[in-house]
Amino acid sequence: MLLLQLLANGIVTGSALGIVAVSFALIYSTTRVFHVAHAGVFTLGGYLAWSLVRAGVPDLLALAGAMAGCVVLGAAIQRFLYAPLERRGAAQLVVLIASLGTLAVIQNLLAAVYSPDILQFPSAWAGHVFGLGGLRLTGAQLATVGVDFAAFGWVMWFAHGTLLGKRIRAVAANPFLAEITRLEPRRVHVLVMAIASALVCLPGVLGPLDYGLQPYGGVTPLLTATIAMIAGGIGSLAGAFFLAIAIVVLQNLSLLVMPGEWSIGVTFAIFIVFMLFRPRGLFASG
Amino acid sequence: MTDYLRVEAVNHSFGGLQALNDCAFTIPAGRITCLVGPNGAGKTTIFNVITGFLRPDTGEVRFRGRVLTGLSPQTIVHAGIARSFQNLRLFPDLTALDNVMVALPGGFGEEPLGALFRPFHAARTDRQRRETARERLAHVGLADRAGERVRNMSYGEQKLLTIARLLATGAELLLLDEPASGLAAGALDQVMALLRRLQDDGKTLLVVEHNTRVVQQIADHVLFLHQGHLMAEGTPAAIIADPALAEIYFGGAL
Amino acid sequence: MDYLYSYLILSEIYVLLGLSTNLLVGVVGIFSVSQAAVFGVGAYIVGDFLLSGTLSFLPAVAVAAVACIALNVLITLPSLRVAGDYFVVTSFGIQLLATATFTNWTWGTGGANGMPGVPPPDLFGMQISSTRGILAVSTVAAALGCLAFWLILRAPFGRLLKAIREDELAVAAAGKGVLRAKVSAAALAGAFAGVAGGVYATYLSFIDPTSFDLDASILLLTMVVVGGARTLWGSVLGPFLLLALPQLLTLIAIPTTYAATMQQLVYGALLIAFALFRPQGLLGERL
Ligand SMILES: Nc1ncnc2c1ncn2[C@@H]1O[C@H](COP(=O)(O)OP(=O)(O)OP(=O)(O)O)[C@@H](O)[C@H]1O
Ligand SMILES: [Mg+2]
Repeated sequence: MLLLQLLANGIVTGSALGIVAVSFALIYSTTRVFHVAHAGVFTLGGYLAWSLVRAGVPDLLALAGAMAGCVVLGAAIQRFLYAPLERRGAAQLVVLIASLGTLAVIQNLLAAVYSPDILQFPSAWAGHVFGLGGLRLTGAQLATVGVDFAAFGWVMWFAHGTLLGKRIRAVAANPFLAEITRLEPRRVHVLVMAIASALVCLPGVLGPLDYGLQPYGGVTPLLTATIAMIAGGIGSLAGAFFLAIAIVVLQNLSLLVMPGEWSIGVTFAIFIVFMLFRPRGLFASG
Repeated sequence: MTDYLRVEAVNHSFGGLQALNDCAFTIPAGRITCLVGPNGAGKTTIFNVITGFLRPDTGEVRFRGRVLTGLSPQTIVHAGIARSFQNLRLFPDLTALDNVMVALPGGFGEEPLGALFRPFHAARTDRQRRETARERLAHVGLADRAGERVRNMSYGEQKLLTIARLLATGAELLLLDEPASGLAAGALDQVMALLRRLQDDGKTLLVVEHNTRVVQQIADHVLFLHQGHLMAEGTPAAIIADPALAEIYFGGAL
Repeated sequence: MDYLYSYLILSEIYVLLGLSTNLLVGVVGIFSVSQAAVFGVGAYIVGDFLLSGTLSFLPAVAVAAVACIALNVLITLPSLRVAGDYFVVTSFGIQLLATATFTNWTWGTGGANGMPGVPPPDLFGMQISSTRGILAVSTVAAALGCLAFWLILRAPFGRLLKAIREDELAVAAAGKGVLRAKVSAAALAGAFAGVAGGVYATYLSFIDPTSFDLDASILLLTMVVVGGARTLWGSVLGPFLLLALPQLLTLIAIPTTYAATMQQLVYGALLIAFALFRPQGLLGERL
């Protein structure tokens, strides 16, 4: 039974990190920026929602508000940071440094405004425990699986079934060609950042409903998500999503044999194995 | 007598694309051989295979009878083969002189222990190597540009610099990937004269070239590559006069 | 007076760390957010040896340096094999893993409670317990580090490293061993961090995981970015400037509970500003 419960928890958290991974992969494959600050956008979403809920806004509206906030932040990072750096021909290393700086600023602003301690959402339904044939899942967990799988479905439809999605994939595949065929990669990049930021806000809000908010809580999820993206194969959104679930499930199962403090070690070990034996990932395209 | 350089039945594919298809040819010592063929024929790819940057799927490369396949680029340079790049790949923030010095065979102080514990010895040998590097620069006509950073140099000068860097390795077989492309008439003549002088110095050259005039003037022998396969070889005049090859060359380009 | 000494000692320790980070990030061009982890390993090793009394200061520092060389080479190896961006993951992973280890491996590190009572350094049988004595030790260590860095950059080895940063493939085509040069640079960076760790542990006599976490790594990166990449003076200026920052912050009366947050906030802002407007830092070359 414990095994089954751990499995279920793994799938829940995994689907959340899956959306982090998918949104990150969307950015990485289009803009080629290793957007470390995505962890900050993720965290900001949770805090914005928390503030709105505290101010009496209904939960769903609070989520929408938080998503709007993340969209603005993500688009601003692209427009006012990555784009100018790209125009100046900055080295990849410099872009990374700028992204890391942005992450530090977001995290510490949050810590300054909200305190560095863990905050809990006041929403009662989130903590309500539902029994499902022996499994025990909280309202927040059920919402997480539901919303994140739906979001994943939406992304797949968007990327493959809409004109805009195809345009984005075209820019990802060949930025140079996109430039001369007037697909306007600059605009597409801002758009992608906006969409990905809205997406990452979902797990950013739903996860903390369960286990609380922390200003520095975005780094480990992002690390797991990027590992999933690499293990899944750059360019494969589905690969990123399902590998995230697989990794988190493994992480949860490892709790049977070792204490939770070391789960980062499990994640990292998975990464090392992939680097050694399958550096291009499971479902690499091209 | 064994051939100087022998490429034997080399196959290489990128994913589904067969870039080299049973590619085979030999090169005699002391000559200028030109490698021609339409865009995408696999010329750069065979350079990559010969110099150890790509390991072929099958086939092998022999140099003076020694099998090179599987050796690292570094070892192959030491064996006596060096290559230039179609897109130059100079070190843009380094000076012309430093670009050449990096390629001079290992001197003292190129690893940390020598640099840290015998700094004076390292500085002394480095001064000697600097002189050698200046000679290489002078050889290609860049003596007065030694202190200039590469990114402030003209394209023509940069092309000459790649040749100086190539010479600095001390290799006897030089593979040049389009050394004359993109040059104006004056610079073109300069490069052609330089290539001939290298031959007189005892180097063997394998040159990728698109310009028929250049091929005609410098080549002793021409290899025609098409779809990764050696399609024809012969004297420059014979290759250029062949209407079937011209059709592939220009028909494919249009 | 003690206050000034403390500032100088810490700055000098961070000069060693700045040199270490500059070698990797500035000279070789590898993004790294795990140099604090290596620093920590050096500090804990020296702390453990001195606390148990098995080794005296210099041998303990030597062991720490060797361990950090090995560790740094191991950490950096993936960056030599896989593309640049993947190494970001490695680097974050190593840092988080190190923090987990420092915090949870109570037997070797004292865990989250830290390791108290590390004895002061001893040289040739004499305990150096005065702050001035330790300042002398840290000054010698930093000066030796600076000398080594300067010699490296001037030597053919430095030229090779610069060339590798600009175009690895072209260096291989020139017949030089890229892997060997990078491993050597990583080893040197490890040695610097290990020595810095040893001096740090003996000076503070108390170490805990917060000195070696991701924030510390970000601070090191900020020092290099602000001071300037690939120059000795950049690596020296960065630490002295950034360690003065906490003092500046006390001037504008920020509640102490927020001091650390505010510092990290400023580091982040500096990283962004320099990346955008001055990628060469104050005294360095363009990153
Ligand atoms: N790294 C690679 N990955 C995938 N395909 C490649 C790669 N390198 C070359 N190719 C493909 O292999 C084929 C041969 O390329 P190659 O660069 O050898 O041609 P080339 O004869 O040098 O052409 P050009 O005259 O344009 O330089 C081309 O179709 C090219 O697109
Ligand atoms: Mg080519």
